[in-house]
Amino acid sequence: MIANYRTAALAVALGAVASGAAAQDIKMWTLETEGLQGFIEQAAAEFEEQHPGVNIIHERFPNEAYKTQIQVALTGSSPPDVFFNWAGEDAARLVRDGLAADITEYGQAEGGFAENVSEGWLANFAYEGSNYGVTHEGVSKYFYYDPVFFEDHGLEPPETFEGLLQLCQDIRAIDSDIVPWPLGNSERWKLNHIITMLNQRVLGTEATAADYALTAPEDELFTDPGYVEAWQKVVDLMDAGCFQDAPNATSPEASRSMFAAGVSPMIYCGTWCANIFAEEGFDSFEMFRFPSVEGGAGDPGGQFLVPQGYMVSAKSENPELAAEWISFLVSDEQARAYAEQVGSIVSNAAQIDQVEGTRWFKFFVEDIAQASETVNVLDVLLEASVANAYLDAGVEVLNRTKTPEEAMEMIRAAALEAKNG
Amino acid sequence: MTDMSRQTGATPTWYGRIAASQSMLVLPALVLCTLFIFIPAFLTIVGSFYAFGLTSERWTPVGLANYVKAGNDPIFWVALKNNLIIVFGSIVMQVGIGTVLAAILDRGIGFGQVFFRVVIFMPMVISAVAVALIWLIILDPNIGILNALVKSLGLSPPTRGWLGDPSISIWMVLIVAGWQYTGFMMVLILAGLQAIPKDLYEAAALDGARGMRAFWSITLPNLRNVLLVAVLITTIGGFKVFDLIFVLTGGGPANATQVLGTYIYLQAFTLTNMGYANAIAVVLLAIAVLLGWLQLKASRQS
Repeated sequence: MIANYRTAALAVALGAVASGAAAQDIKMWTLETEGLQGFIEQAAAEFEEQHPGVNIIHERFPNEAYKTQIQVALTGSSPPDVFFNWAGEDAARLVRDGLAADITEYGQAEGGFAENVSEGWLANFAYEGSNYGVTHEGVSKYFYYDPVFFEDHGLEPPETFEGLLQLCQDIRAIDSDIVPWPLGNSERWKLNHIITMLNQRVLGTEATAADYALTAPEDELFTDPGYVEAWQKVVDLMDAGCFQDAPNATSPEASRSMFAAGVSPMIYCGTWCANIFAEEGFDSFEMFRFPSVEGGAGDPGGQFLVPQGYMVSAKSENPELAAEWISFLVSDEQARAYAEQVGSIVSNAAQIDQVEGTRWFKFFVEDIAQASETVNVLDVLLEASVANAYLDAGVEVLNRTKTPEEAMEMIRAAALEAKNG
Repeated sequence: MTDMSRQTGATPTWYGRIAASQSMLVLPALVLCTLFIFIPAFLTIVGSFYAFGLTSERWTPVGLANYVKAGNDPIFWVALKNNLIIVFGSIVMQVGIGTVLAAILDRGIGFGQVFFRVVIFMPMVISAVAVALIWLIILDPNIGILNALVKSLGLSPPTRGWLGDPSISIWMVLIVAGWQYTGFMMVLILAGLQAIPKDLYEAAALDGARGMRAFWSITLPNLRNVLLVAVLITTIGGFKVFDLIFVLTGGGPANATQVLGTYIYLQAFTLTNMGYANAIAVVLLAIAVLLGWLQLKASRQS
């Protein structure tokens, strides 16, 4: 019996020693982005080599599923140590709810992320002077067009919104069956990106800031007539025949394929779309920015840019190691590798000139460097119920079941409820 | 049991032993039900009286405010109305067409019963998500076969798309649900039909009752209990529907196909109004409990 106890005690002691020497797992959750898995695998291998005993576990999720699962996981008992997030209201809410760790101290240590990412980029995940995340990259949007089709028909990329309307009409005049600009709004966010830019072009960033943050007085909240004007421009696009008949029943993937297959000569799509078009066999496209709105108060040099990066769970048992892993990801060498493998605009641009990127990657980098301001997307920026109202309003306007005025009444009602709630 | 007998000094009776063993047999199910049904249901009811977010740990008591909000929320009523459309539409489509198909297979055709039974039942074994994805392709306004079919007949498909038009999208959902579940109803009713003694029809035939007269006077009365169960299964399914709509339309366009299940999801996980989502879930629970009680009552009667 005593021998048994001794054996058990020895086993417990050995177990304790074993667990003490056990590998430290860093669980990381990200989206399923093209090329990301290969990048993380090589980065993890290097990081693990530099940190014996550390094990990076990378799990990927589809976009829509991720938005739900990350919230549930963060409130659970074993959340990921490091997780992807968009800079904006979602990230701010996690900070307010105490689910994201303050990693300022780790970032400012030697070799920390603050050495490689500028304050401007870090500000995207900074709250009350502390860093709760690190911007890894920014995604932007451009009009992609088929230069051969444009050249054959004497068309030019438009510089103004009026020019864009005219372009749609000209393409319809060539062949009324050609959809100039396929819009796949079945998931609601496609039009939201367009109205994001229209709000910026018509109203300007300063005029919208208080409304977006819900800090404007109740009687002024979302009352600027520019909001209605922005929605009216969506109606103008429909009237000019820009979109196909059923944008609310068309998936984003289908609209992308319409452009890649040559069915449509242009599309407004994210920087991530370029690689997809190339994979689908069309890589001779050119790009232009969202045009300016004549008479609009917004800066025409403003460009759509959604900063996204990584945060550390407040429940992580290894926050220092998690922050170190993020710092590693934004280091010069890894940022360059990421830009090359994923083709994304990285926050650490120190070695961007040395990146062996595609033709479009170089265009994005050069063009965004010239942007006079960046415009974050409404469904990331706004409080959830207001963002949802904007998404629903877009569907209603596209279906012509609500006028621009009615759409704004709906959004204003949601904003008032959110402000007072 | 033995220990108890020693303590009380009583000899266990045979029925006591049976009762104890029956209790032991029920125990695993009871534990699982408690963990996964009773406790979550209790927490949902409690949560419905609070305001809290998905990621917030602070619960603010709000009394009945979430229920009042539901009463004043037009989308809640749209969702409930859509559930009722799906329930009644499914009864007509699934049970109605299922009965007709079962009658045809039982005595209407003299060949290929097994083949047709398998073909009609087949959609039932496909997951709802896969069914929705298949129908998304069929109903696609740009590449879908339905649009091509309608155009080939010289007609115009809806300009907003089958699933993009708020006035028809819920009916398209109903058709997809009918396509998937009619086969199941057919098999259920066919089993009921085959249990009806054939001599009843022979006796009726001698009295001159054949065809529709025999169907109304013999088949339907004998199918009463089976049809009742079919209607209750369809009704409960109509209130539980989630996956099919979530994949097909996500509750859109602009809430036109929202049902209670998808609205709970929207409130809980997109808008992070967990308290309100709990209140809607309690309403759905109450409806489910009522329907379950009706089903139990009907099955006892049968």
